Amino acid sequence: MDKEEKMGVEDQLEMVAKAFVNHYYHLFDTNRAALAPLYHHTSMLSFEGQKIQGAEEIGQKLAQLPFEHCRHFISTIDSQPSPFGGGILVFVSGNLQLQGEEHQLKFSQMFQLIPTQHGSFFVQNDMFRLNYG
Amino acid sequence: MDPDAVAKAFVEHYYRTFDSNRAGLVNLYQEGSMLTFEGAKTQGAQAIAAKLASLPFQQCMHNISTVDCQPSGPAGGMLVFVSGSLQLAGEQHPLKFSQMFHLMPTPQGSFFVLNDIFRLNYA
Repeated sequence: MDKEEKMGVEDQLEMVAKAFVNHYYHLFDTNRAALAPLYHHTSMLSFEGQKIQGAEEIGQKLAQLPFEHCRHFISTIDSQPSPFGGGILVFVSGNLQLQGEEHQLKFSQMFQLIPTQHGSFFVQNDMFRLNYG
Repeated sequence: MDPDAVAKAFVEHYYRTFDSNRAGLVNLYQEGSMLTFEGAKTQGAQAIAAKLASLPFQQCMHNISTVDCQPSGPAGGMLVFVSGSLQLAGEQHPLKFSQMFHLMPTPQGSFFVLNDIFRLNYA
């Protein structure tokens, strides 16, 4: 059997970030109500400048966005460790296709992910902005 | 001071330094600082300043459209999320960009950049 390539901490981090991003946007695009458990009561969302705090309120805000279906297309994912807390900073850019709209919207989003006791992550910080032409 | 005001003040200072005295950016980072610039990773104030100094343009001007900030945790850090456009000297069209900073407080009462991620937003 081939010797497994030793994966650096940074590579692991990148893998976690990518896996999280794919999971997050998959949920967003298929089952928005299921996003709330990714947040905790301390979580913060800034959505187009509007500040919302706590999993319940954040879940409500996302569920109430004025469209039924959307699809995220991710162009870039960058990640870095967030010292003093063991978290991961994730920076995403891509396009958002709203159902019924002809043109895609460009967006950027950043997350701070904090590890949970159970070996997964929750979103402590979330900031979303559309990037207008 | 209001955290949003602190974030705005830092962002203005950062881009003013970038646009008028790029070498001066070295003072805004420390040894543990990390920069990811268009996917390229650099660590430490000296290496980061060298990377920024080596960018292939002499003059540029940042125009900031949005600044969002949130506290990052118990250590007093701030996450700052910026979008705007970047005009390079001699280029006809400005480039759109997004950038995130994770600022940590210094003992002297100011902030340094611990994490920095920059991306151009192509059309």
